[in-house]
Amino acid sequence: MEAFVQLLNNVLPSLLQGVGVTLQIAAVSLLLGMAIGLPVGVGRVYGPRWLQRALAAYITLFQGTPLLIQLFLVYYGLPDLGLTLGRMEAAFLTLGLNSGAYQAEYLRGALQSVGEGQMTAARAIGMSKWLAVRSIILPQALRLVLPAWSNEAIAMLKYTAVVFLIAVPDLMGQAKILSSRYFAPIPIYMIVAVFYIVLVGATYLLLRQLERKLHIPGLTGETH
Amino acid sequence: MKKHIVMSMLLIAALLALSACTAVQPAAQQPGAAPAEGSGKLAQIKAAGKIVVGTSADYPPYESIDADGNFVGFDMDLIRAIGERLGVEVEIQDMPFDSLIAALQEGKLDAVIAAMQATAEREEKVDFTIPYRMTKDAFAAAQNSTLVMEKPEDAAGHSIGVQTGTVQERWVQENLVATGLTPADKVFSYERADQAALDVANGRIELLLMDAEPAMELAKQTGLKILLITESTAEGGKSIAIPKGASDLKAELDRIIQEMLEDGTIQRIQEANGLP
Amino acid sequence: MDFVQNLVTTFNFILQGVWVTIGVTLVALSVGLVFGVAMAMARVYGNSFLQAVAAVYSVIVRAVPVVVIIFILFFVIARFVNLSPFWAGSLALGFASGAYQSEIFRGAFQAVPPGQMIAARAIGMSKLQAIQSIILPQAVRLALPAWGNEATLVLKDSTLVFVVGVPEILRRAQQVSARTLEPFMAFSVAMLLYLILTLVTTQVLQWFERRYRLQM
Repeated sequence: MEAFVQLLNNVLPSLLQGVGVTLQIAAVSLLLGMAIGLPVGVGRVYGPRWLQRALAAYITLFQGTPLLIQLFLVYYGLPDLGLTLGRMEAAFLTLGLNSGAYQAEYLRGALQSVGEGQMTAARAIGMSKWLAVRSIILPQALRLVLPAWSNEAIAMLKYTAVVFLIAVPDLMGQAKILSSRYFAPIPIYMIVAVFYIVLVGATYLLLRQLERKLHIPGLTGETH
Repeated sequence: MKKHIVMSMLLIAALLALSACTAVQPAAQQPGAAPAEGSGKLAQIKAAGKIVVGTSADYPPYESIDADGNFVGFDMDLIRAIGERLGVEVEIQDMPFDSLIAALQEGKLDAVIAAMQATAEREEKVDFTIPYRMTKDAFAAAQNSTLVMEKPEDAAGHSIGVQTGTVQERWVQENLVATGLTPADKVFSYERADQAALDVANGRIELLLMDAEPAMELAKQTGLKILLITESTAEGGKSIAIPKGASDLKAELDRIIQEMLEDGTIQRIQEANGLP
Repeated sequence: MDFVQNLVTTFNFILQGVWVTIGVTLVALSVGLVFGVAMAMARVYGNSFLQAVAAVYSVIVRAVPVVVIIFILFFVIARFVNLSPFWAGSLALGFASGAYQSEIFRGAFQAVPPGQMIAARAIGMSKLQAIQSIILPQAVRLALPAWGNEATLVLKDSTLVFVVGVPEILRRAQQVSARTLEPFMAFSVAMLLYLILTLVTTQVLQWFERRYRLQM
């Protein structure tokens, strides 16, 4: 038991630093994903044919291949083409693009479920397509997409775990270094697991509060 | 709601308790890797007719994988020659460098040959043979680097890459970070040595520290230049790691290595792999 | 031309990893299926203790990144059994997938009208018999769309076992890029192979779904 407390003492400071990096990456990537997902989602439903096809290709590419390979391609592959991103930037970009693809799909589903009737009515009273999307369809769709978005936020925390493979000093990165320094992989990764559980739990509770506040009775059909 | 919170807390406590148990008992005392059996390790290997050897094949000319997927390099040729003298087949498994010691401890490997040095910490967990080659380290930088190094400490303050779990990583942590010469966030630990070399080549880090011969090989391939070759960052020669307490295996391997050093076999293998 | 030659070598080298990837995926999915169905049954039909165990398994495993679970289980399994990285890694991945599959099957079990269980018990069947011959066949078909989704996820997550040394697509891509020094080519090929794998898998799964799906 003493040995464990000693180990804990040794590894905790580095692990906490790692948590900071993990949170930073998760937050930035999620926001980037939103910034990408919103226009892509709207474009997928309301854009011209050629745009819809191009965006569908982007989504298929990022949803159909592992995140880790995308990360390696961006970090180790792009320099071959002359684009060398820093490791944090590569992490943000890859996770952001990946998340953006999924968020676009969620938004597309939400946009389509708001209903064609509303679009038809809006056009009938003379609104342009884009005005209708911006002022009528989108606000509702964004409310509808909130549960999927919270899931994405929680999932993002877990997705960040692979960035240690491009030598980013996040929680897993610190854990790897520490576990070979102290030759104690199982306890250290168990502690890391506990950290993630706490992070995920806290995020889940926070987001549930947020959902409660933004809930429109009757619109989403949710029961909490 | 409250039930869930209580449950999760109990669970976290249980997980921590579990880690405490596994931390306190070193692997050697767990069933399946008991040192009491160690004295029969050599006999086990001979009975099985093969020795399972772990390596991290990202380190030419010590160990790497060729176009057909075969393990090639100085360490690979050496271990196969040793296998011949032992009269057993050699099965090689490739894994990340920092998993090798753990795999040896857990009994998944009979031996590890990976340009590995016998450090005091590693000696606590596993045993080592006598060295079969001395270690020299090298600092490498990009072709257009203006850095000049006369001693290892000249690396202070610059971003530097190392491989996770290596003596070089430890040297950097103890001599540059712990002493305040280099900030901790300028040290990057890579899974594979060639990944670190790539990052020096494309400017993400300024330096890397690794074994001299692989450094020279990678430098040739990726267009880096060697700034300094030194022995003061090393802790010893290169040895084969074996399970703790496997004294008969150690005795036999030591004997074979000594033989090969004296009869020129090691010299020949070195030359065949382009090692000085 | 040098480029084409490199491309062909790279492609062939990485291609050999495809079999390993498929193997890992199949083993992990099967292991996950066993865990998933068992835990779902425990959650929906078990006593309080079983329900607690299943709930804990599901919540905890889903809150931890898959790569962490693979690391932990790999070392834990290694302590007791001497398995190759392929089997240890696949088992670990399967254990993780089981948590997600247990949620899928839990939903499926709950979607079968409870009246059926009551009726089965009323004519004298034991709980287990009822589950086995009446509920399970329907639940499995109800679960198909969600399970198909999970199968694709496991295929993509199979790449994570490379951290414990399994020579699947990504590891092969790393090895070949270390030799040819063309990482962009190597990882693009890897991405292409995965894209083909996921597209094929999705088609196969959709075919299954259309034939066997049940909607309530």
